[in-house]
Amino acid sequence: MSKSKDEKGVVSLKGPIRKGKGVDIGTMFIKCAQKEDNEIVFKSQRNAFFEVEHTDFTKNILNNSKVRYIIKENKLYVVGHEALEFANMFNKETRRPLSRGVISPTEKEALPMVELLIKNVVGEPAYKNETVYFSVPGEPLDADFNVLYHIKMAEGFLKTMGYTPNPINEGHAIILSELAEEDFTGMGISFGGGMVNVCLSFMSVPVFKFSVAKSGDWIDQQVAMAVDETATRVSAIKESSLDLSKEEGLSKIESALAIYYNHLIEYVIEAVKQEFAKTRRLPRITKPISIILSGGTSLPKGFSHRFRQILDQLKLPVPVGSARMASQPLRSVAKGALVAASADESRK
Amino acid sequence: MLSGTEADVINSVARLRTASKNQIRRQVGFSLEYIGFLCRDLVRRGFLDFSQGRYSLARKGIKTLLAEETPKVDRKLLKSVAGEVAREISGELKRAVKGIKIPAAAVEIKKEPGIKTLEEQKKIRTDFDFPVEDESLVLESNINKIGIQTEKEKSAGMDKSVKFYKEMYRRRKKK
Repeated sequence: MSKSKDEKGVVSLKGPIRKGKGVDIGTMFIKCAQKEDNEIVFKSQRNAFFEVEHTDFTKNILNNSKVRYIIKENKLYVVGHEALEFANMFNKETRRPLSRGVISPTEKEALPMVELLIKNVVGEPAYKNETVYFSVPGEPLDADFNVLYHIKMAEGFLKTMGYTPNPINEGHAIILSELAEEDFTGMGISFGGGMVNVCLSFMSVPVFKFSVAKSGDWIDQQVAMAVDETATRVSAIKESSLDLSKEEGLSKIESALAIYYNHLIEYVIEAVKQEFAKTRRLPRITKPISIILSGGTSLPKGFSHRFRQILDQLKLPVPVGSARMASQPLRSVAKGALVAASADESRK
Repeated sequence: MLSGTEADVINSVARLRTASKNQIRRQVGFSLEYIGFLCRDLVRRGFLDFSQGRYSLARKGIKTLLAEETPKVDRKLLKSVAGEVAREISGELKRAVKGIKIPAAAVEIKKEPGIKTLEEQKKIRTDFDFPVEDESLVLESNINKIGIQTEKEKSAGMDKSVKFYKEMYRRRKKK
């Protein structure tokens, strides 16, 4: 058995300790997963900011109340979950560095903000060229934009930080995280903030993957328009108290949310059917497949039941076994990316 | 693109000629609110007409019913609707072509199986390196001081996944 030394001088009997990291760069959250002994540690930061008046007094208050902020060109931005609270307090909208799954083209502060958030969440590599897999959206079926710029920016930045970055499709990451027992065969659907990402995988190989540019934010905006509220407030209600299994006694906002949830689910299932029809070489899938639902927009109670109801009405061209929630819907993308990174690292 | 339920709504209106929200709901399912939402949206997009509390097919709705790519089209309805559309189109054509010389229709080029289109032939490389500067260096923040939200879970399940995934990768490589 030979001793070896890694870049930081860590000695191991079997060779350098290689672990890797998995990063979920989402419209709502940036989340990093890494293994520490027998645990997976997830670090996360909400991807939202809100401008407040920049004075020493405000800065001190924020520091004392442990509210995270960023200062850029003499402007003070509250970041993270507190940005949402501030926005609600002032009845305004939060600003977001990512929109529809990619770096926002309309926010000029976006890039340095995203970089700072990634740097804080991902941290320094444990050794030079540590492998990191970062989640990327699939090409959108219904929007005229390309995800290449976003992928290249994230990849380039992680490289600047000293990592060996690899992109992984968001839906595929869910499959790696949740479907090992089923030979990584099935469908992963991530209902994120800005997009819904879908991947059908056969024996761990993606058969098709795509995204649609409607998801949680779209629901918030539509409901906000319908009931004359701010999208931030609608989002807060959606995240805190929406129950999709309730059929009676819904408030005006809850009714509108239920309607738009139906619409979104139906839209996604129709897009999946369309993709099945387009795919020329479908593998022979003999067993009913599992569908794993994940992402922040899938969190309301009753979501998977509602999904199943609509799926039973619309029907896919392949038999579907279970349509269930991921074990940890907010962590599965980062965890799946970590599975890929760990597998890569141990092959080195 | 019409969704399956939207196509169901159009089918049901075509079947009933004019229909109330309740009648459509009984045929299609879903809640009254959702059906109302779909109908309003279909009216806005020109598929349905709405008057005196009842929905009927608008021109775009009739044409969609005839289009092959529309999901779940009730083919039995086609016969009756086809006549309606034919009359409408012939009337429109007569008005439009009066005195106009119509050029020969462009021949639709059908793709031969096995032959790649220009679009398919183009293979754009995306594996290039794209250096990105750390623009966040100019920012001041207290995030590091306060720390990042951290959660933990046991990794036993993940270790198994990594093992299976590596195994599968090895088998694929062998093939």
